[in-house]
Amino acid sequence: MSTKPLFHKTNKSLPGKFRRASIKRPPTPDAEEEQDREPTLQEIINIKLIESGEKEKLKELLRERLIECGWRDEMKTLCRAFTRKKGRENVTVDDLVHVITPKGRASVPDSVKAELLQRIRAFLQTAAL
Amino acid sequence: NMFFVTLVKFPMSIVVCVQLALHVFGDLLDSITVDVASECHRIARLGLERNLDEEEEELRLSAQARARIADPSNNVEANGKYVVDIFGQTHPPVANEIFDCMNCGRSIMAGRFAPHLEKCMGKGRKARLKATRSSTAAQNRYSRGSPVSTYSPYSSTASINRLSNGNPRAATGECSNGTVEEP
Repeated sequence: MSTKPLFHKTNKSLPGKFRRASIKRPPTPDAEEEQDREPTLQEIINIKLIESGEKEKLKELLRERLIECGWRDEMKTLCRAFTRKKGRENVTVDDLVHVITPKGRASVPDSVKAELLQRIRAFLQTAAL
Repeated sequence: NMFFVTLVKFPMSIVVCVQLALHVFGDLLDSITVDVASECHRIARLGLERNLDEEEEELRLSAQARARIADPSNNVEANGKYVVDIFGQTHPPVANEIFDCMNCGRSIMAGRFAPHLEKCMGKGRKARLKATRSSTAAQNRYSRGSPVSTYSPYSSTASINRLSNGNPRAATGECSNGTVEEP
């Protein structure tokens, strides 16, 4: 098992060679650094989810529920309103993601969230932690 | 500290499980969010949203209308006879469009149509009396062998015809097996 604390989240966004603070440091082979870092619990679970195909199923279930309850239409309305303000030609995907993420997270119905969490936890149990 | 309180109350495994589940859920939601944003971006950039300009126009018009209401010069008292609605239009107190009554064929003014129809179709007091008198008279007449259509002491032949259609006796011709159907 990993000796790192359970909730430690490694910064995966930068490849190894850019993590160094000083360029004067003698070069260390990347391979060693990679081996030291063991996957976190979250990463392990994510891999299991993807490999078993469960992640795809869960995503489809969530997508279906969010469409049914009108969440998707709400988000599309927000996007339209923003597009009208900023202008059709100037809108970026990033803009829209930032527009709908906070409202999106807040407006998922409790029943939908509960259903998904239930299924995820069932999967975690069968994945035999 | 909430974390330690939770630790005491629930076994670590459950805490971890819930944490992981929430993380996975968040992941899924973020992924779907990006999909929605991406789709909306595509629609925006390809100009597929036909209604975008119409919506803008609607918003502009309703803002205009709202401004007009707020304007005191559009008051009912100031204008005298006619009220100005939110689109700046005035309407006469009695609707004055003229059309033909589908029952009797007369030319009627729209604002006078409801009371006309009451009389025309036999709903009002006078019309019902008309109907009772004419139908009992028609029944007497029919039993004596005279045709109903010649009996018309009242002004509107059309209304008599209509009443005789509703009269079971007059409709006997259509009920060949002898049963009388109530209209």
